[in-house]
Amino acid sequence: MTENQRQSPVQFSVPALDAEERDRWPVVLEYADEGEGPDLVDLSHLTRWDLQDRDLQQFRPGGVVVPERPGSCAFGNGVLVNRMNRTQASIWHLNPGEPPGPPSESALTDVTEATVFLALFGPGVFSIGEKLTALDLSRPEPKPPFLIQGPFSRVPCQIVVLERSGETDGGLLFTCSRGYAADMVDSVLSAGREFGLRPAGEKAFLRWLSSVFPETE
Amino acid sequence: MSLMLTCPVCGRRNGYEFRYGGEDKGPRPEEDGLTPRAWCDYVHMNRCAAGPVKEWWFHRDGCGSWFTTWRDTTTNLEIQPPEDSE
Amino acid sequence: MSRLEHLPTLRIDPSLTLPLHYRGKTRYGVSGDTVATALFADGVRIFGRSLKYHRPRGLYSLDGECANTTMAVDGVPNVRTETTPLVSGMRVAVQNVMGFPEFDVMGFMDRLSPFMPAGFYYRILHKPAMIWPLALKSIRKAAGLGKISPDFRTIGTFEERYLHADVCVVGGGAAGMSAALAAAESGLRVILLEARPWLGGCWDYRSGADSDALPLYERSRELAREVADEPRIRVFCRTPMIGAYNDNLVTAVQSGGEDEGFTERYIEIRAQSVVVATGCIERPLLFENNDRPGVMQVGCAHRLARTYGILPGKTAVFSVGHDMGLEAAVDLSELGVEVLCVADAREDGQHPGLVRALTERGIPLLRGWVAARAFGKRHVKKAAVTTVEGTVRREFACDLLVASAGLSPVTGPLTVAGARLAYDVHTGYFLPEALPCGVHAAGRLLGWNDPGAAEASGRLAGVRAAADCGKTVDSDAAEAALAAHPGPESGCKLVTAPVAGKKAFVCFDEDATVKNVRQAIDMGFDVPELIKRFAAVGLGPGQGGIPGHNLPLLAARYRADTAPPRPTTVRSPLVPALIAAYAGAQRDMCKRTPLHRLQERDGGVFRRTGVWKRARYFSDDTECREEILAVRNGVGMLDASTLGKFRIHGPDALNALQRVYVSDMRKVGSDRVKYSAMCNDDGCVIDDGVAVKIGENDYYFTTSTGRAGATVEWIRYHTRFDEWDFHLVNLTDALGVINLAGPDARTVLESITDADVSNEAFPFAGYRTFRVDGWIPVRAMRLGFVGELSFELHAPSSFMPALWDRVAEAGKPHGIRNFGMEAQNVLRMEKGHVILGQESEQRTNLLDLGLGFLWDRSKTDAATVGAVALEQAEDDPDRLTLVGIEMDDPDRPAKDGSVIVDDRIRGYVCTLRRSVTLNRAVGMALVEAPLSAPGTHLEIFEDDCNGQRLKAKVVPMPFYDPEGKRMKG
Repeated sequence: MTENQRQSPVQFSVPALDAEERDRWPVVLEYADEGEGPDLVDLSHLTRWDLQDRDLQQFRPGGVVVPERPGSCAFGNGVLVNRMNRTQASIWHLNPGEPPGPPSESALTDVTEATVFLALFGPGVFSIGEKLTALDLSRPEPKPPFLIQGPFSRVPCQIVVLERSGETDGGLLFTCSRGYAADMVDSVLSAGREFGLRPAGEKAFLRWLSSVFPETE
Repeated sequence: MSLMLTCPVCGRRNGYEFRYGGEDKGPRPEEDGLTPRAWCDYVHMNRCAAGPVKEWWFHRDGCGSWFTTWRDTTTNLEIQPPEDSE
Repeated sequence: MSRLEHLPTLRIDPSLTLPLHYRGKTRYGVSGDTVATALFADGVRIFGRSLKYHRPRGLYSLDGECANTTMAVDGVPNVRTETTPLVSGMRVAVQNVMGFPEFDVMGFMDRLSPFMPAGFYYRILHKPAMIWPLALKSIRKAAGLGKISPDFRTIGTFEERYLHADVCVVGGGAAGMSAALAAAESGLRVILLEARPWLGGCWDYRSGADSDALPLYERSRELAREVADEPRIRVFCRTPMIGAYNDNLVTAVQSGGEDEGFTERYIEIRAQSVVVATGCIERPLLFENNDRPGVMQVGCAHRLARTYGILPGKTAVFSVGHDMGLEAAVDLSELGVEVLCVADAREDGQHPGLVRALTERGIPLLRGWVAARAFGKRHVKKAAVTTVEGTVRREFACDLLVASAGLSPVTGPLTVAGARLAYDVHTGYFLPEALPCGVHAAGRLLGWNDPGAAEASGRLAGVRAAADCGKTVDSDAAEAALAAHPGPESGCKLVTAPVAGKKAFVCFDEDATVKNVRQAIDMGFDVPELIKRFAAVGLGPGQGGIPGHNLPLLAARYRADTAPPRPTTVRSPLVPALIAAYAGAQRDMCKRTPLHRLQERDGGVFRRTGVWKRARYFSDDTECREEILAVRNGVGMLDASTLGKFRIHGPDALNALQRVYVSDMRKVGSDRVKYSAMCNDDGCVIDDGVAVKIGENDYYFTTSTGRAGATVEWIRYHTRFDEWDFHLVNLTDALGVINLAGPDARTVLESITDADVSNEAFPFAGYRTFRVDGWIPVRAMRLGFVGELSFELHAPSSFMPALWDRVAEAGKPHGIRNFGMEAQNVLRMEKGHVILGQESEQRTNLLDLGLGFLWDRSKTDAATVGAVALEQAEDDPDRLTLVGIEMDDPDRPAKDGSVIVDDRIRGYVCTLRRSVTLNRAVGMALVEAPLSAPGTHLEIFEDDCNGQRLKAKVVPMPFYDPEGKRMKG
């Protein structure tokens, strides 16, 4: 381990081709042998907040209005806001670069460290999903992005389906308790092996994200 | 699991996602003058009815809500609340 | 054997040969073969010997409904070779054979059959009692098919799939495909399950009765193409349905092809509507020696030729009860089989086109005739046919007897879905009386044999399924389309050929004959469910596949029942599935702390505790001497990251804490932690931990490792009627924890932080936040679980490896060591600190543990969980009390969980160890109150004590540093 660095819960057994240190967190931008997709990207370094209040409408995290209906998501300024229930939303800062700093309001908690944050996208992603969860990720309604809270590989997760194209292609972001990181990554990679799933770096994620939300460029 | 339950936040989900919270027995009785027997009955005694039962469930793997729903214990199917309930 | 190579219906590639090994020789099948067809093509006729009488058995149905052709394949016993695709290099072996399949030493058993009536073992072998142990041995030896080695491990890749569909169609024949297409046309997501490797059902190999119409095999291929072109239909072949459960949960197991990367796949489908179109199997014809190799069902003979290109025999006699039998006779004669005659149990009702075709070929059709007996010791050499009354008899020399009494609908999927069946007099089938909500049936299963009707009934079911999914559909039109076709035909009602039935087998798997069924009935077993169990009819691997339809008919006929026959129950799994398929990918998901790798590096031995993997020891010494001494005399560090950690905020946060904690949580301060406990409604302790105030209406609290997952649920449950405004954030994984403990702990900590951590600035029970090395944010608590000066350092998880390394480096001059769970367990026990679940069980309340001081009874308005029960238990004399005990022999500690006894059980040992610190064997125990006084002598029984009770006595606690000077210093 390099001294004086933070450590992601995810350690892919693939050499990194390109990496940078961000707030003492070594972020891999590209891995060796990234395939043609599907890709699995570790985004655990990106800031996540938990927002809980009786009146969520008064908050504008990243300038985004918290969506009203549980299960719905809003995206703007690189911030994804997912309505979880009557009083709770999760806020995922998808922009790399400077982290947003500690939350100023007491309704917010920085939960970046509480979860592992993964992106799974590319061809066949929903077929991989079928091997890991009884949740209906490929249901025709609602249209992405939407949030599903439920078990993925038997572990409770927050899953945001960000894109769906065709029967099995698209992508999702998900978080689960940080302690499950190693087993979750193993489980997803082994389920995805037959579809050519490979670990990929942050660059691949940003390319995909800008294809889903062209306005982010 | 074949049982499906409807979480008021997340919608219809597999029964595996939920924790059973027992029959609905209403709020705790007033503590004044509560006999051990009455307290024990409140905590431990159940109707165990064959048929529609109103129960508490917790969406453990999902949104983390406690909610009540009706289940027919003879078919193990979630059902609409009977008309004379509430 | 050369194959018929140019049939349009073939599903094999004769040019691609595949080797397999059988009886010491390499044989060759072709691509597309099953194991059974490859062996048959190679000349194998006897595939095994039967369970009881060791009778030779061969191909019969080709769909694996009986154990006739189960063999050991690549070491796996009881593989159904009729449905197992041939893979290059397979090693195949016969089962239940002593000697060779053709000359089985046990073959004499067949001659003993007259002495083995129904229920033989039940009735004969129970008296005198002394013979049972002997009988047991020989029965055990003879029982069962196939051998499995005790250390057998299933080889292969197993996985699961969870699928969602609007409509799930079971059965990929013409009706099933039509149903799937009709449902998909409404824009619905459809899943189509087919047990065979291809769609088409019984049309796949047939031309049909009507020689002017499009051959059925062409029509089924057309439908299959339409299905393939419809993106909303997902097809799963080689996927028999296994079970159905509430809310239309359908389970199935898919067998993997050679290149598919999985061996078997467990599939769970949740559908809004289910269509069952599983068609029919054949009802076996009961006559003497109906199990002889060379006797086979119509579909078996027909498919051998049409699908696999193998002629099933040279000279054939047919005895059938259905037009498909006539069709097969015509077709096989066309392909080169010499058909001597076709006996049809029906007097009339035959399709005129088929009758004409038989006449044109000079094949006599004997109406009202049936096979009575097959001759030939190992294979059919001759067949006797008779009128159904048994009045006239003729014999034919032949090597193939195609026999079938009629059709049996495959209603298993409907039964497991909850449908009740009743006997239908017209078809002779057991048909669903009423279908459960969201379940539909279609096709030949309901008797729709006419090709047009089969498709129309499929479409109707598909349309009805779409209606279940809320689509607006025209079901009237679909109904009218079905009504335009001929309805179900009258089925053949023949129950058995007119024979004695001594060797007419109702059930092949267990060698149960018509005679056995009659014996069972004579002994008073009057309903099929009882006969089934007593005479063992349909209890074998094939379950009801062979006898399911015949048994109730036989019973009703023999008893001259006036009530209609009743079928026996069908249960899942509908077809055999490997346990490994149910187990699936077996992903064991567990949590690891941020320090897991570092502790692995340091030689940690991990154990799964709840959801976590935790380091138990760091050496081979399970007594953990070095680890314990380091903490007592120098300094040690423990990964305590698994502790539950929570933030609670909001206007009612304090109310919520008051509700679940027994203490007065108003006293929780911002620079001191407060230790408290949670009880359940019985006053029993469920959790303990500390809380600290981190802001206005804002608290940070810890729970025990095991309770972390249930804490949010617990607090919300006990406040569910209050409509309080508070919010919980689970930070368990967000922060790691290092417990830095030992007399040198302060010196180590001082060297890595600028904060003042002196006893004055940071006293016992204090809470401080500071940075280590100027960059690692730490929340620190002065606690003393292990009885020494100790600091609990909570830091964000990503910083933990750096923090750990930094502490380890700073502690090096003081001989710092990792310590694990076991060392901690001893250290805290010496100090008399409890671990819930170890010093407590479900019935142990707060007072029993001596933690009553935590309970603040003044806060009655908080309605604290457990307070009512604690008040009621306070004066209860019949409770256990936690005491310290010491063994008389310091080298003979009693085991955790052993019992304290006199003439009855008086208590339990909770934790007890030989203490390396104290050189005594001490521990804690829960004992009845009269035994709790210090000095009381106790006797302990444990399973290893050889009847010699261990001696101990009650002593004061804590054993170590009673004044707490070390912990607080």
